[in-house]
Amino acid sequence: MSEAVVSTRIRLARNLRDYPFPIRLPADKAREIADKVEEALKDCDIRFHRIDLDKVSDAIRVAMIERHLVSPDFISAKEGRAVFLSDDNTVSIMVNEEDHIRLQVIKDGFEPDEAYALADKVDNILSKKLNFAFHEQLGYLTQCPTNLGTGMRASVMLHLPALEISGAVYRIGANLSKLGLTMRGLYGESTKPDGAFFQLSNQVTLGISEKAAIDNLRNITTQLITQEMRAREPMMNDIEAQDKIHRALGLLKTARLMDHSEAMRLLSLVRLGVSSKLLETLSSDSIDKLIVEIQPASIMTRYGDTMTPRDRDIKRAEIIRERFE
Amino acid sequence: MLCQHCKQHEATTVVKTMINGKYEEHRLCPKCAHELGYDKMFPDFSADFGGLLSGFFSNALPAVSGATHCSSCGSTLNDIKRTGKVGCADCYDTFFDELLPTIRSVHGNTFHKGKHPGDIEYTVNDEKTGDTDKLTKLRDELKKAIADENFERAAQLRDEIKEAEG
Repeated sequence: MSEAVVSTRIRLARNLRDYPFPIRLPADKAREIADKVEEALKDCDIRFHRIDLDKVSDAIRVAMIERHLVSPDFISAKEGRAVFLSDDNTVSIMVNEEDHIRLQVIKDGFEPDEAYALADKVDNILSKKLNFAFHEQLGYLTQCPTNLGTGMRASVMLHLPALEISGAVYRIGANLSKLGLTMRGLYGESTKPDGAFFQLSNQVTLGISEKAAIDNLRNITTQLITQEMRAREPMMNDIEAQDKIHRALGLLKTARLMDHSEAMRLLSLVRLGVSSKLLETLSSDSIDKLIVEIQPASIMTRYGDTMTPRDRDIKRAEIIRERFE
Repeated sequence: MLCQHCKQHEATTVVKTMINGKYEEHRLCPKCAHELGYDKMFPDFSADFGGLLSGFFSNALPAVSGATHCSSCGSTLNDIKRTGKVGCADCYDTFFDELLPTIRSVHGNTFHKGKHPGDIEYTVNDEKTGDTDKLTKLRDELKKAIADENFERAAQLRDEIKEAEG
């Protein structure tokens, strides 16, 4: 499984009964909610630190997206928005994004049950202090009716290079909605897949329990991985594919300028080579971490806000060379 | 055309169904349509037809709540339609009937299953399946009854489903 599953995420949408939803929420009330969440989290044995969006730089805001800690939507406005992060960044709680609370757990590899158990635990702690909007028929009430019911989005990030090259992934993707699932690019809605990374998640949240939705996701993920592995076999015996993968590693080890999309494409090929035992170099896990580090804003938060795109391409090539040495 | 059910009165209502990919139209008189429950909304019944019926009902029936805006947050139905966002928790009660067809077409369902805020002990491995199985069986029977044009049985099953759902 781990060859093709990068990470698993569970996200729960919750709203407070006594406040209007974010679209109708004045800034002072929004801050009040952030304070209430902070107070409620004090009962949790996980330690959280609070980041108010209006108090950090643009680079930090974007870097949080690149690490999948917040959504691109979240940083589009700043006032009254805050995020609570656990020390290990496994749990993040966005306050006043599309809903008052977006609780997210992200785990490496394919761990939907563990991720849900943790999300459920934090949700229970929050619900002791916060009065969540809940409707007997419609379940948890959310600003957008598409999240009603469980308010849960369970997703896995998949690396499917063989299915991407053959185009099969797009055919499969188009048929997933019939199964209540949806597949997108790496950074959520309407993003183009870079390096054959895809996010598979449940679309339906009303009328299907958390368990059933997770089981469904697990079944389809298993099937996709089986197909991916089957497609990889003939590919790995093909001299042209082997050549491509080895060249990719050669470029990563030696290049002096590396833009973001080239890096993603090459790292994807090398990841394929590693997980198919064609190459012996960094592990898939280390490549996954490297992919986050070489995202533009992540480079800027570490090496300076004033970097030009060219500076970043130089820095990116340097980070990658060092890592593959 | 005469009602396909009683074969006595003029048919005025057309019920469209899609069962196992097979599209059918049933023409009914007002009396039979009423007896069979086709003149009002009953969420799960129509959910079985992949939203086809819901479209039919939402066109046939005007908004019933009569509310122009939500008394808690001031949102109007137009605000919600325009933005795709609901203003507050109370909007869901205020505009319940108006929002239901959309909710049904998004989720194919209008009844929550799963965690409640009070379920502190709820885990992903706990689930009551007894009622669900019974409901699934009833719904399957209902589909079959309609496919066979056995409307009496369909009406009876519909009531049983309603009861089972509590």
